[in-house]
Amino acid sequence: MDIADGLLHGFYVALQPTNIFWCFVGCLLGTVVGILPGLGPAATISLLLPLTFSMDPAGGVIMMAGIYYGAKYGGSTTSILLNIPGESSSVVTCLDGYQMARKGRAGAALGIAAIASFVAGTVGIVLLTLVAPPVAAFALRFSSPEYFALMVLGLALVVLLSGPSLIKGLLALLVGLWLTSIGTDIFTAQARFIFGQAPLLGGIEFMVVAIGVFALAEVMANIDGGEESQMLPVPRGLRNLLPTWEDLKACRFAFLNGSVVGFLIGVLPGAGGTIASFISYGLEKAVSRHPEKFGTGVPEGVAAPEGANNADTGGALVPLLTLGIPGGSSTAILLAALIIWGIRPGPLMMQESPDVFWGLVASMYIGNVMLLVLNLPLVPLFAQLLRLPTYILHPFIFGISIVGVYGVTGRLFDTALLAGFGLLGYIMTKLKYPTAPLILGFVLGDSMERALRQSLMMSQGDLTMLVQRPISAVMLALAALVLILPLLSYFNRARVRALAGG
Amino acid sequence: MKRRSLLAGAAALAVSAAFAPALAQFTPTQPIELVVHGGPGSGNDVMARQMVTIMEQEKLLPVRVQVANKTGGGSTTAAAYMASKKGDPNTIAIYTVVWVVDPLTQEAAQNRLTDLTPITRLVTEPALAVVKADSPYKTMGDFLKVAKDKPGTLKQSGGSITSRDNIVRQLLMKQTGGNWAFISFPGGGERIAALLGGHVDLMIMDPSEAGEQVKAGKLRVIAQIGDSRLDAFKDVATLTEQGFKIPDVPQTRGIVGPPGMPADAVAYYEGVLDKLRQTAGWKKFLAESQLQNVNEKSVQTRTFLTAYEEQLRGILKEAGAKVVR
Repeated sequence: MDIADGLLHGFYVALQPTNIFWCFVGCLLGTVVGILPGLGPAATISLLLPLTFSMDPAGGVIMMAGIYYGAKYGGSTTSILLNIPGESSSVVTCLDGYQMARKGRAGAALGIAAIASFVAGTVGIVLLTLVAPPVAAFALRFSSPEYFALMVLGLALVVLLSGPSLIKGLLALLVGLWLTSIGTDIFTAQARFIFGQAPLLGGIEFMVVAIGVFALAEVMANIDGGEESQMLPVPRGLRNLLPTWEDLKACRFAFLNGSVVGFLIGVLPGAGGTIASFISYGLEKAVSRHPEKFGTGVPEGVAAPEGANNADTGGALVPLLTLGIPGGSSTAILLAALIIWGIRPGPLMMQESPDVFWGLVASMYIGNVMLLVLNLPLVPLFAQLLRLPTYILHPFIFGISIVGVYGVTGRLFDTALLAGFGLLGYIMTKLKYPTAPLILGFVLGDSMERALRQSLMMSQGDLTMLVQRPISAVMLALAALVLILPLLSYFNRARVRALAGG
Repeated sequence: MKRRSLLAGAAALAVSAAFAPALAQFTPTQPIELVVHGGPGSGNDVMARQMVTIMEQEKLLPVRVQVANKTGGGSTTAAAYMASKKGDPNTIAIYTVVWVVDPLTQEAAQNRLTDLTPITRLVTEPALAVVKADSPYKTMGDFLKVAKDKPGTLKQSGGSITSRDNIVRQLLMKQTGGNWAFISFPGGGERIAALLGGHVDLMIMDPSEAGEQVKAGKLRVIAQIGDSRLDAFKDVATLTEQGFKIPDVPQTRGIVGPPGMPADAVAYYEGVLDKLRQTAGWKKFLAESQLQNVNEKSVQTRTFLTAYEEQLRGILKEAGAKVVR
């Protein structure tokens, strides 16, 4: 069955009224789950799994996948409105999204996020449809040295995320790198930096750090700044709540960047949506004509990471469906569900279960349209949330943050940690340390250390392996470029100044 | 019809009345909590939810069962939670080998599985030694020969160094004098990707993971780790058959109660789980996940786990892990 026939057959399956219904249910649930911090798609799919055993496999997987990609749409909502990342992959959206909201452009940011999600999500599925098998083969050429290089490239972005002081950015990055090393080391089975606390054996949950240093710290800084009675501006009139034509024009490249970066990184089983969103944001800033405005609320700063995060879905399904390899917790449970239904994802799935394979792919085209239609009307509604006076909004954010963290881990210990990270974030804000590099280090550090140690074990301690392999060499060169370019422009400016002075 | 059931009811009443003084019968009256140490979507979580679904469909219990994910520190958080429920007949947990390993290697993991009340052993997970389809190694012997002739050049992908993958490697290296690297990957997907991409030479893998790849001609099985051949891989010899007799280290899962769980509650759960084993749904789940059924009551399970802990302690020391208990 070639691609056109397959897709046609897929639409035949996906357009059955019951399957359209399940697709809608999945997308709706996904949106809700994405908006609520603390209830992730993996947990939701797992909870609903027993209910779907009696369903037809195609309908079941269409619904489960709907929850998975639907959650990515919803994840940006709390990031933009409240600076609370609903899912780990929407942390980067906070950087510019929340700043837009503070300027009274919450509606525009939410709209941009929805449109970027739709565009990149659809591009991701188109790529999944057209190039899945060759891309899967490419992904297999990635191993530990390549992952190490990718993480180094990611960490090099610190120069772009640091703001005015690179030193402060690097210090924050180091704290993030240290925090991520807490817990049991997989290579030696030894615990590091746990201070006798058993709950730390498994390491610190990402959401605890992110919600602490972003949401709680922001609220504390606001209270401290004497803004108690000041409300965030929300313009009146529907038109002012939606993105403008200029916003969309500014995001042209971001849509493309998010789509491609998100898909390519999504394909790699050892990477994931959070890394994709960071790299896409970094790339957007690196090529921007006004990089200094990033972090103050530019629409492309929302579009790039949100797009990457959604194109990642199409990418992540490539190794799952064509190789039977799950890249993250959500795809792992999709795999478990498929196996329980008697379907084995892998090289033979396209031939053995064309209904499920192509039905799923086709349903994702439909699902993305549904999500756009579902989400855009919600934009003005959600933007109204910021009309709440701060004496209600601030406790509300505190409440959601604590419930969200408890929902993820189910441990009171983590709510105490959350308070600690809130305080850390507050102190950093007061001393003008950027918090984004800390999160960057926390996300990438663990994978980077692991990939380096794996590489050294593979090469019997030979570091040159990292530059001998072409893909990793190219990425390391890119990382060096990212680090050196700002220096060059600095010297250049100094030279121009000297010439002008002379 | 009516009279007969009435009669039967009366007889049952009489029987239970006669036995009541001898043995207090535990029947749950409040929802049962089924604790899992993995997060939603992990292997144990899926197994727990499958169990709950079957129990509800077959009405094996008069009350509802709720799955509680107590994640963190491998099994540590879940084991500590169980220890805190001392004597409670309404809380049970799914344990795995990790529950034995964690207290052995982690100072902070203070609750050993044998300190709790083991109720039963449910399944063992068989394993296969797998190479890439275009690999030069056709049998375990081929691989081990190169491992001996060119020590340190071959690589195996796997999980933590305390996992069975590494234990089997240690035992084989000790027996044959060969040596190869063990590279830890936290995610199962990354391990297979490393093998499929040709970045490592060997992996010890679940049959359910290997099946489809073998069928598609991407991977080849060179040995079975367990004592007997699996139905799905009838033509592949076991390690013992190939002349490499190493101690069996079964990957196993079962049900455990809190410390000091009353004997009647233990007996009650033993009975319920026996009924579960008989259901078509459970048999189907085991077949599809390629798990092997184990029938063991509480007493045998405790004996098994005690001996197993002792065996693991020795093997882990040899594997270079720090053993603290």
